[in-house]
Amino acid sequence: MSPSRASRSRSFLLRPNEWALVLAIGLAVGLTALVDANHSYWFRPLESLRDILRNTALLGIFALGATVVIIAGGIDLSAGSMIALSSTVCATAMLAISPAQMTAFKPVGPGAVAVGCLASLLAGFLVGTLHAWLITAVRLPPFIATLATLVGLRSLARALCESSTAVLTPTKSALINVSDPFFKTIRDNVWIPVAVFAMLAVFTWLLLTRTVLGRHLQALGGNEQAARLAGIRTDNVKWFAYCYGAMTAALAGLFYMANESVAAPVNQGRGHELNAIAAAVVGGCSLSGGVGTVPGTVLGTIFLRVVIDAVSKVIKTGADVYEGLIVGIVVVIAVTFAQVGQLAKGGRRLLPGALGLCAIPTLALLCGGIVAMTAGGRAGVAAGLGALVLLGLLRLWESRRTA
Amino acid sequence: MRDAAPMPSAAAVPAVTMRGITKRFPGVVALEDVTLEVRRGELHAICGENGAGKSTLMKILSGVYQPDAGRLEVDGLPVRFTGTRSAERAGIAIIHQELALVEDLSVAANVFLGRERRDGLGLLDDRAMARECGRLLDALECRVSPRERTGSLRVGDQQLVEIAKALSLEASILVMDEPTSALTEAESARLERTIRRLLAGGTTILYISHKMDEVFRLADRITVLRDGRHVRTVDRAATTPREVTGWMVGRDVSAGPREARAAGRRLLEVRDLTLPWPDHPRGYRLSRVSLDLHSGEIVGVAGLMGAGRTELLEAIFGAGEPTWTGSISLDGRPVRFRHPREACDAGIAMVTEDRKRLGLFPDLDVAANVSLCSLAQAVRGGLVSPRVEDTLVAGPIRDTGVKTPGIHASIMGLSGGNQQKCIIGRWLLTEPRVLLLDDPTRGIDVGAKAELYALIDRLCRAGLGVIVTSSELPELLTLSDRIIVLAEGRLTAEFSRAEATEQAIMHAATGGTQCLAAGGH
Repeated sequence: MSPSRASRSRSFLLRPNEWALVLAIGLAVGLTALVDANHSYWFRPLESLRDILRNTALLGIFALGATVVIIAGGIDLSAGSMIALSSTVCATAMLAISPAQMTAFKPVGPGAVAVGCLASLLAGFLVGTLHAWLITAVRLPPFIATLATLVGLRSLARALCESSTAVLTPTKSALINVSDPFFKTIRDNVWIPVAVFAMLAVFTWLLLTRTVLGRHLQALGGNEQAARLAGIRTDNVKWFAYCYGAMTAALAGLFYMANESVAAPVNQGRGHELNAIAAAVVGGCSLSGGVGTVPGTVLGTIFLRVVIDAVSKVIKTGADVYEGLIVGIVVVIAVTFAQVGQLAKGGRRLLPGALGLCAIPTLALLCGGIVAMTAGGRAGVAAGLGALVLLGLLRLWESRRTA
Repeated sequence: MRDAAPMPSAAAVPAVTMRGITKRFPGVVALEDVTLEVRRGELHAICGENGAGKSTLMKILSGVYQPDAGRLEVDGLPVRFTGTRSAERAGIAIIHQELALVEDLSVAANVFLGRERRDGLGLLDDRAMARECGRLLDALECRVSPRERTGSLRVGDQQLVEIAKALSLEASILVMDEPTSALTEAESARLERTIRRLLAGGTTILYISHKMDEVFRLADRITVLRDGRHVRTVDRAATTPREVTGWMVGRDVSAGPREARAAGRRLLEVRDLTLPWPDHPRGYRLSRVSLDLHSGEIVGVAGLMGAGRTELLEAIFGAGEPTWTGSISLDGRPVRFRHPREACDAGIAMVTEDRKRLGLFPDLDVAANVSLCSLAQAVRGGLVSPRVEDTLVAGPIRDTGVKTPGIHASIMGLSGGNQQKCIIGRWLLTEPRVLLLDDPTRGIDVGAKAELYALIDRLCRAGLGVIVTSSELPELLTLSDRIIVLAEGRLTAEFSRAEATEQAIMHAATGGTQCLAAGGH
């Protein structure tokens, strides 16, 4: 049994894995400050901080939603598409209320903005309800239900965007520009998304640790059948979880729209659902449900964004090219790291048998390839050979230990 | 009967020798310097309370765990197992207490998992596997099809599939870890016949059980473990069940005669409860079952596996499909619960069978497991107050006598008996009037059982109405004021405490199946 994964942590402030994340964040920041040839952390600390904070807050908002869904034993793959739908719904609502101002890049007024934002959150509630219905009444597995909405909602958002622009503006368009000063203020003031993220984090933390509903979410994720037999209305708890997931994504969608001054359903939020799930998993959530904390997810989000920022600073190409690779590697390393204790004392091996033998060149090739593309061919060959030797030694050590 | 004395030549080299075995887990020493010799061809029973180290010792013997210290010999030769596969090669197979079956595969596929038969083309030979599996199941007198999905079988049949799997290995040394804990008396009896056949064929069996009658019917020698240490090994003929239980718990255990209880007013009235069973030849899970429960009374429900005991409790509790007909009244008012929540609110509590699957929340600590159904009571100013919650759960944890290192310890670290007390405590917090207990002592050791009996008796005297089901007749006879017997979904008999005997109950429980059993031979 793993050490008590109790609902209330008995360790000092954070759990051990969360302290490890704090350390890792510090390490990543320190390394970047040293290695970055432009020294942007030294010369433009505020600008760098602002960048990281904005990205962290935007990802964090719906990573908190993903955390609630995952703790309840589910999964929501549709967050990225929900972001696109949310921004489109908000822009469409404002366009419908004051088409002339919207097309002329003029302020639309607080009433239209409020209606737009509320419409987005309502869309989130409706999508969450749809998920819960598909999962509890139709009894689809959560993966299937939200996979369907992952592809479906983005398409819906694009259709909504094209048909509303066709009716309300002179030309059909795949995007709607948003230039109301309300959204400009949000874009120009990074503290707004950060404050919203912080408040949402505190709210979610209270929800999970100090409310009956939060305990029921954990119970549901830990053992669904037992939860039902304990008199918990599991279907309602699931309904809440999926609505929370979709509505936080809708909220994040508003920030993405503000940030880019446009509702662009083709690309907005594309693939972001996996970053949110990754942040939760790096923060200690278990995809089998019942386990996870808000501080963990917050730290996981920061760590993910810091590492992405670090790589873009160090190799000076667009961060988006390497973002997926980084997220993938970080998730694998973080989850492996969480089992280090088990690996060290149990008889388990990382590189067992023929599979382990084939994994060694695979990993070495991957390592060499990445280094070659970022730091040049010679360094790549060296890194690949180095990895080969290190993994070979690990394999030797493991087989000697168990023999 | 078999003669207990093994042949002298075979006794010279023990089948298995375990010397100085020590195994530590984080925080506990599961086994300390245990030495054990098992003679070839004997049935060697291992007894001890839960947590005594029986299962750990057997898992070391079968290669699941590696010992931290000590040596293992098979037929006098030192061996070192790196996994169950290597133990199987040495002729040792284990039937685990917790079932290790792939629910979505067929019975035959489970029996041959990892050792699949293949035909000339290298493809799976399902027909040969099904045929062979059918033969093994026949030998166990198990009436399920080899092609049936394993997950759709009852626990009792699943256990027999596990046994068939071990038999298919043709192991010379067979470890059985509480094989009858989920079996009914009839299933246990047919398992006993199988065991005797295996022993007659020369197989050596290590047998873990809590049930003294079983141990004393089957064993040649008995080893008692307590707190991870070897207490003693004796010939069965040289000891008594009372002596063995004494060594197990380190004290004298006796249930003792209990004072009569007085039943109060009628709480629950079930009339002609019928639960349909579509797609099944019988057509019903329960047929016209009637039952009364008074406050301060314990009604026992006896029946073989599949007789409908769990279904009866689930229908009352609103946990199953609400498709039943008939009537259920609580305090004279007709009720039909569609969700366990409604039953809780009406004052009914149910402790489910299969604690691990249906009762425990492994990710929550002891306190959260206990407070789960009544957490709303700990809300102060809109939020759950940890302080109030701690006080809330302290009551039932004390009253039920849970032994735990702390109320925030992991629930999975507790023994089965203490876990069960936590679950009963969870329900006591809801202040129920009717308590439904579905096989509450399954997999719980002797000492803890006696404590649970005392607890149930105490609750009943405080005015609760209790319905309890059990696979063990002595347990029902100890606990109940009245016993009703189900056979294949029908109520076949009702006994008062004075009338009930094991023979009479068994007769009523098998009443509906006599023709079938006769037809099977």
